[in-house]
Amino acid sequence: MKLAMLAPTSFQLPEAMSSFAPTIDDLYMKIYWLSVVFFVAIVGAMVYFAVKYRKRAGHKAEAATHSVFMDRLEVFWTVAPIFILLPLFHEGFRGYMDLSVAPADSIEIRVRGAQWRWEFEYPNGESDNVLHVPVNKNVKLIMSSEDVLHAFFVPEFRVKKDLVPGMYSSVWFRPTVTGEADLFCAEYCGGKSKDNTGAELPPAQFNGHWSMISKVKIDTPEAFDKYLDNMAPVGPLEERGRALYLKKACVGCHTIDGSKGVAPTWKGVFGKSHKMADGTDAVMDENYVRESILNPNAKIVAGYTAPSVMPTYQGTLKEKEIDAIIAFMKSLKE
Amino acid sequence: MSAVDKPIAGHVDDSHGDPNASYLEAKHGIGPWLYTLDHKRIGLMYLVMISLAFLAGGIFALLVRLELFTRGKTIIDAETYNKFFTLHGAIMVFLFIIPSIPAGLGNFFLPIMVGAKDVAFPRLNMWSFYIYLIGAVISLASIVIGSVDTGWTFYTPYSTTTATAVASMTFGVFVLGFSSILTGLNFIVTVHTMRGPGITWRRLPLFVWGMYSTALIQVLATPVLAITVALLMMERVFGLGIFNPKLGGDPVLFQHFFWFYSHPAVYIMIVPGMAIISEVLATFTRRPIVGYFAGAMSSLSLALLGFLVWGHHMFTAGMSEFSTMLFSALTFLVAIPSGVKVFNWTATLYKGEVWFTTPMLYALSFIFLFSIGGLTGLFLGTLSVDVHLHDTYFVVAHFHYVMMGGTVMGFLAGMFYWWPKMTGKLYNETPAKVGWFLVFVGFNVTFIAQFIMGSRGMPRRYYDYLPQFEPFHKASTIGSWILGLGLIIEAVTLLSSLKNGKKSPPNPWGSAGYEWQTATPPLLFNFKEIPVRTRGPYDYHLATPEDLYDGFPEGEPHGD
Repeated sequence: MKLAMLAPTSFQLPEAMSSFAPTIDDLYMKIYWLSVVFFVAIVGAMVYFAVKYRKRAGHKAEAATHSVFMDRLEVFWTVAPIFILLPLFHEGFRGYMDLSVAPADSIEIRVRGAQWRWEFEYPNGESDNVLHVPVNKNVKLIMSSEDVLHAFFVPEFRVKKDLVPGMYSSVWFRPTVTGEADLFCAEYCGGKSKDNTGAELPPAQFNGHWSMISKVKIDTPEAFDKYLDNMAPVGPLEERGRALYLKKACVGCHTIDGSKGVAPTWKGVFGKSHKMADGTDAVMDENYVRESILNPNAKIVAGYTAPSVMPTYQGTLKEKEIDAIIAFMKSLKE
Repeated sequence: MSAVDKPIAGHVDDSHGDPNASYLEAKHGIGPWLYTLDHKRIGLMYLVMISLAFLAGGIFALLVRLELFTRGKTIIDAETYNKFFTLHGAIMVFLFIIPSIPAGLGNFFLPIMVGAKDVAFPRLNMWSFYIYLIGAVISLASIVIGSVDTGWTFYTPYSTTTATAVASMTFGVFVLGFSSILTGLNFIVTVHTMRGPGITWRRLPLFVWGMYSTALIQVLATPVLAITVALLMMERVFGLGIFNPKLGGDPVLFQHFFWFYSHPAVYIMIVPGMAIISEVLATFTRRPIVGYFAGAMSSLSLALLGFLVWGHHMFTAGMSEFSTMLFSALTFLVAIPSGVKVFNWTATLYKGEVWFTTPMLYALSFIFLFSIGGLTGLFLGTLSVDVHLHDTYFVVAHFHYVMMGGTVMGFLAGMFYWWPKMTGKLYNETPAKVGWFLVFVGFNVTFIAQFIMGSRGMPRRYYDYLPQFEPFHKASTIGSWILGLGLIIEAVTLLSSLKNGKKSPPNPWGSAGYEWQTATPPLLFNFKEIPVRTRGPYDYHLATPEDLYDGFPEGEPHGD
């Protein structure tokens, strides 16, 4: 393990895929080698002195005497580190300012975080749960959270920023190579492994902070444009609904095969009457689904605890998208 | 100070015991332990409770590591995992590390070192112990009534919306804070007013300087924690909007409040560890710590700087660039007093007489591990690099190198160093050294793996992870087993000495430290008569090697 630590940059840091990465890596390695030098000096001196002056017959500690040399040494190692720390601080702050100020020509992508999904909305108004960005273009993310704290983190880009409920935060980067990178939530946001009755779900259905991960796909500008074009709705309405079911993370809680999840399944439920938590019966028709999407707490199916963990999709889903989801639910017959 | 001549008011109860008997034997039965006002008995009771907390926190740590041994579910489900890592953090911070050295070892040794019969307010001292117990019971009750899954940091708005027992845990933390404040208050007053004849500020043992610095932080910072968790409880219980934006609050405000206490708390944890290392190094090199005055002042400057750097926990939270710049600059200043301490300790070995006892091995490991902990702090203080490393395992490894590699090594050094003094028994060196070796190796395996996976991008507090991180998690978990085994060996070594250990001579290490110039174990009132000190605690040049074991010769009293 120790020897491995001495290996080059590529062992300690992930691949560099943004314009920030080389400068940050360079500074990281500077601090790393500085630390290695200090560590070896301190521990080297410690081991050398400890062995050389070890307790043994015929060896006695020398009486401590006050010396001007020691006073000077004390002043030296109090003052000297400032000259190492100051450049580090300066370089770190300069890099941080670069991260903070996005160029004016950046493509803006709207990011919404919620327990436990990402939504990336592009300038054309369409959205996805995977982040596509064009290579060698400046991209600025404008981010907000719908519930608790989250953080946007792409190790390959060396960027991280918290998503704070009640305010916008932003981050920018310029990808420098095409390819794919992991995207993480880095601020703890809870998790769930039991359904609302308290029974444990199968591990594949556990959901939480650790599963709030996605991908960044860095496309060529042509591929990126093609991706945006293909986002416009095509095909039958229920297919569009199926796509939204996956993209908008409905899939996280609602199953479509009739099995029990954190929330009711969608299979074979449309148009039928169901028992609600308050004892009433309700028919799952168009209005029921619409209401549940926009105001998840309005009606809760019996057996699922209130308040619902589902976030509201008010302002997130357009009318035609709700229509598509309803069409998709209708298609899921027993 | 005249206070030492007068009978101490709080000691009326103890007057039935023989003041010249060992504190362990002066009175018998469980009752005299439970309502004792003796700082030594209170210190010992603290040590028992703290060790149990360390055991509980350690078991949670091992379970968390075991869960992460393989991808997906290994032993526990996700909700349980979130509760376990929260309990690990909360127990270790609030029930173990913060009280460990001050309330346990500090309580026992600070009055002896300053030449007093007890702390300034013995009754408050007893209360501080019982408040600790009440706080511990309330915190741990939360485990029974639903546990907590917020992380020990209780970040809002998750902490005000989760269904778990946050109110109980935070109320426990609220209560525990008062225990810490009372201990701090007691130490400050004791050091100012009860130093014995001849113990000037410049003759105070560095352990006392460390305790004094710590006490200042405890008294000044802990009330802020109480305010913070009180506000959190009001939001949770009464729906008062302070932190939750849905109620008109500001979640980042909570982080400011929380770290305004919890960063200084880092120094409540590490400064006492450093204080022990200074004592142990002096004894086992037969040399005064190089730069005594610089050492004392560096403790005070760490205490002061600790109040000014809380923002460095929030570099990605959306603070203004100006605040970020200030917090980064101030953070770098922390490196200076930390560096001074490490350089002084290393220089102390020079021309000394280095005796490799178990406490000394822990002290040397402290220098080794704390250097790594400190140097990796440079990465995190550097703004642009911190953005990448924040909230990854790099941070987890960094603060474990400081908290465990620093404070826990200091605590273990102190436990072995003072064990004969406290119990009157010698422990067996050989198994203690085997245990030390396993602790040292296991610790490094556990956390070096975490540094690497962290800088490669593994976020913290993840129940599951991507395949590229698997080898590091495996190595880290295996390291935790070695570490756990080492700690078990140490515990068994110490405990078995109570039954089988040889009787300790008064000064088994031949230390010049003041506390070793008294009976072992100490008398009920610490001294037959209050000693007059004529020398500093590290003046080895004033005694022959034989004197060191037989009793340090005191010269003619003279002021400094």
